[in-house]
Amino acid sequence: MSNGMKLILLIAELVTVGSALIVAINPNILYSAVFLLFAFLGVAVMYLFAGADFLAGVQIVVYVGGVTILILFAIMLTQWLYRLKLKDIGSKFVIPGVVLALGLVPFLHRGLTELGKMIQATPPEKMAEFAASPKTQAIGKALLGTHVLPFEAITILLLGALVGAVWLARPRT
Amino acid sequence: MNVLDFANSIEGYLLVSSVLLILGIFAVLTRKNAIGILLGVELILNAAGINFVAFSKYHSAALEGQLVTLFLILIAAAEAAVALAIILRFYRLKQTIDADEASLLRH
Repeated sequence: MSNGMKLILLIAELVTVGSALIVAINPNILYSAVFLLFAFLGVAVMYLFAGADFLAGVQIVVYVGGVTILILFAIMLTQWLYRLKLKDIGSKFVIPGVVLALGLVPFLHRGLTELGKMIQATPPEKMAEFAASPKTQAIGKALLGTHVLPFEAITILLLGALVGAVWLARPRT
Repeated sequence: MNVLDFANSIEGYLLVSSVLLILGIFAVLTRKNAIGILLGVELILNAAGINFVAFSKYHSAALEGQLVTLFLILIAAAEAAVALAIILRFYRLKQTIDADEASLLRH
């Protein structure tokens, strides 16, 4: 992979982390939702560079085009846009939140280094071949072949979620 | 190892996903707004998805990790739809979406 491509990946990772930081700490929920969109886009680019072309498309269609718009829609339905009640940092859990989140760092760091040692064995040329091959056909065959049971379970789940969401948000009678 | 190679390694991917997980947990714990909590949950789910995709490439060079991420994205979409429906219903009842107000099982 050329240095230019690696630079694009690095920028995508920095955008993801920076946007996630704004999502977590910005007191205005509307800005948080907008920056969540950039975090999702950064994750989609990371998927592309990890050889998951189909997943990058799904990420953009479902998350950027669906979930973020749904969240913005819900924010605008439930709040006055410029009302100061939007600002909601300062709950009583701020200090436990910081402690718990930072307490996870040593465990994650340890896990990262151990996994880094474990991964060395995979041959790089096999990895490059996997990353360069298109995945859509293989995923389609897997969904209707070896993974047909989880696929059907997901369809039932989506139907249930659809009916349940419509029932929950029905107009007052 | 320079920073460009680090970004392209599994450590780079896992570092980004760890940061997303931590920030998601932080958002879930500190937000009072129910939609803010949902934003944190979405960050956590994306962190899990990055992990699966990274291991799918760097460890096994097989498709299973990507399939798990596909199912994860679909479950997250269903979860967001139901959660926002609940939030809209709650707002209609209480005229607020402060999670501290959601303390009754009945209305």
